[in-house]
Amino acid sequence: MSPSPLLDVRELVVRYGDFTAVDRVSFTLDAGETLALNGPSGCGKSSIALAIPQLRRPHSGEVLFEGRDLTELSERELRPLRPRMQLVFQDPYGSLSPRHRIRDAVAEPLKVQGRWNSADGPLRVAALLERVGLDPSYGDRLPHELSGGQCQRAGIARALASEPRLLILDEPVSALDPSVRAGVLNLLADLQDDLGLGYLFICHDPAVVRHFAHRVLEMRDGRLSAP
Amino acid sequence: MRVPVAGVTRAVCLCAVVGAVGLLPWLSGRDPALTVLRARSAEQEPTRQALDAIRGALGLDAGPLALLGSWLRGLLRGDLGTSWVSGHEVLPSVGAGLQVSLALMGAALGVTVLLAAVLLAPVLACGRGAAGAGAAMLAAVPEFLLATVALLVCGVWLGLLPTSGWEGPRNMVLPALALGIPAGGLLGRLVADALPAALDERWAELWRGAGVGRARIAAAGLKRVLPPLVPQFGMVVVGLTGGAVAVETVFAVPGIGRTALGAAKSQDLPMLQGAVLALLLLGLVTGALAALVRRRPLGPALRDAGLSLPPPRPVRVHPAVPLSLAAVLLTAVGWGLLRDPYAVNTVARLAAPSWEHPLGTDGLGRDMLARLGYGAAATVGTAAAVCLLSLLVGLALGFLPGVAAGAADIANALPPVIVGILVAAVSGPGVGGAALTVALISWPPLAAHAAALVQEVRASAHLTAQRGIGATPLWILTRHVLPSVAAPVGRHALLRLPGIALAMASLGFLGLGAQPPAPEWGLLLDESRAYVERAPWAALSPALALTLLAALAVSAGAVRGAGNATRGKAHAHGKEGSSHGEDPPREGSPRRCLT
Repeated sequence: MSPSPLLDVRELVVRYGDFTAVDRVSFTLDAGETLALNGPSGCGKSSIALAIPQLRRPHSGEVLFEGRDLTELSERELRPLRPRMQLVFQDPYGSLSPRHRIRDAVAEPLKVQGRWNSADGPLRVAALLERVGLDPSYGDRLPHELSGGQCQRAGIARALASEPRLLILDEPVSALDPSVRAGVLNLLADLQDDLGLGYLFICHDPAVVRHFAHRVLEMRDGRLSAP
Repeated sequence: MRVPVAGVTRAVCLCAVVGAVGLLPWLSGRDPALTVLRARSAEQEPTRQALDAIRGALGLDAGPLALLGSWLRGLLRGDLGTSWVSGHEVLPSVGAGLQVSLALMGAALGVTVLLAAVLLAPVLACGRGAAGAGAAMLAAVPEFLLATVALLVCGVWLGLLPTSGWEGPRNMVLPALALGIPAGGLLGRLVADALPAALDERWAELWRGAGVGRARIAAAGLKRVLPPLVPQFGMVVVGLTGGAVAVETVFAVPGIGRTALGAAKSQDLPMLQGAVLALLLLGLVTGALAALVRRRPLGPALRDAGLSLPPPRPVRVHPAVPLSLAAVLLTAVGWGLLRDPYAVNTVARLAAPSWEHPLGTDGLGRDMLARLGYGAAATVGTAAAVCLLSLLVGLALGFLPGVAAGAADIANALPPVIVGILVAAVSGPGVGGAALTVALISWPPLAAHAAALVQEVRASAHLTAQRGIGATPLWILTRHVLPSVAAPVGRHALLRLPGIALAMASLGFLGLGAQPPAPEWGLLLDESRAYVERAPWAALSPALALTLLAALAVSAGAVRGAGNATRGKAHAHGKEGSSHGEDPPREGSPRRCLT
């Protein structure tokens, strides 16, 4: 493990108008570690998920990713950094464009980031789909032709296409059937072992958290509470 | 953030309209001195000196800003200038016309309310039901068509009522009916669409369970539905000012609308400025009154919670209806296209329908069927271009909801005919001007639809994911937002094609669109009007074709619920995937029948 943490959040404050959704939250996360943020809905967990990659600009505080403070960077400077921290959303269908085939959705990060070439691009997409446990033939389908679990795997494949160091998992299994959950959680655990990813795992199910996370932070009304 | 932007845009648009009215003499580009000379003394030669003298007298050589300044100064003193044609003061004529028009509109408003009440009675009595289809049909029949048919049937065939002039209450009946029936249909439809949903709300269930009588529930339902619709009632009344132009022209009523149209045709710009200003003022006062009335029953609820109605349940029409209507029209048009629309045959003038001329002939012996066919072909082409233009404007403004809201308010408050008069005054009457007019006023519903879709797409998680992978705004816009917005809004625009064609026809009817000998449908109706007593079929066939077009406009819109007035953003975040892009268009205004 490197001496400085992968992610270091200091005194983060997120506001919507007068409402303070996240109030002076601080934590660190190392590569290969799973940190769970646990709390009831509306406590500010998802605001943190958006504030870390600066998709929602925080009101104050610092977000140090691999040693750089993201809050000081412009949108243009952030663009090449964002692929290194990827989001996986709660709603598997909503996080994929309903108009694009799975193959195109997974290939899009490669195209956006200028890493696509027609020779080995399709092979990489197929490999990514296989890596998340989807048969490459599923690439031809549209999101609504997949089950929720398959869709979530496709979302993870898209996140992996950016070659991230950090995955922000915003309730990735809450919308899935209990029978499917275990499969997706096992996949995430395997990926962490193989790739050394850091996980910020946002969840409100204590049972899932206990089995999956290395450390747990409890959140309530925008603040971290003592465990 | 949105309110001030809309307010600023509204003010800017209003200033632009008033400025355009003030600058009319300069904008029109053609030489008004010649017009004035011709009007004042027919025998005088248009020499350079004579024209220069007139130019100096009218102040045309002072340049646009001085012109606008002196007009505005006169306006503040209550001086609207003198008519170029008659040499009389403008203000008294405008005042007299306004009086007549107000009386006519008052009577029409009575017809409107009465008709709406009749249409609503079954809905109120049964608690639910569909008054919508008939009401929608009535709302779609343009005033000029209704006026011509009323003139033909009641005035000429039955001889019941006087058909021209303004001498007594008997003169008022036909114009008031022609003006009030479409408005009543629109009003009835708005309430009939909203009422069943309101009567299915929880409170109504509760009242029924508690044994409250039907009449009281119906009254409470009306009270629930009416206040949010008041702004749209205001627009119905504004629409009357536009409809008045056509109706006053058909029945030779000396009102403000006919004054404006006459002034536009004779290039009498001071008179036109005065009349258009009076019409605009009428619309603005109505809008302000509507806002006041709305504040009264709602009070703080309006400010604090933004009371909204449940999404209305529009009448659905089987797709076979518009398809068969389109088939009938296409057959007639196709048949007509095989014939010659310009072949003049003075021997066979005003011939009755026969095998040789299936729809008879017009005043010059030209084949009506051929003229209908060629007219349709030209109109569809122009309407398609207009559709595309308003689609582009709507899409562009859909991304700027603040700007769009303010501009849409003004576009909605301007009756199309008045825009048509202004455009014709600037560029001269013609197809291009008519197309521009219709494009100027037909974009707001498309912009509202686009804005709702943009909002929905932008709120979706997959766009956040796009930013997360480092996509640029341009990439997101072109690959994700535009494709999901353009397709449904494009389909919506296509459904509006018949309505746009109808609007073009009404401008043609008033002489503001296509010019003779072009076989445009509105123009056909206008030309045959002179012969209704001798050859009613010549007027009936374009009237019938226009009615079919109106029915097509209504039923095409109702197939998917497109074109229905809806409010609020109740289901902006429906289940992604299934609802995506299939929402019914949301509009800030009722669809007017574009007269």
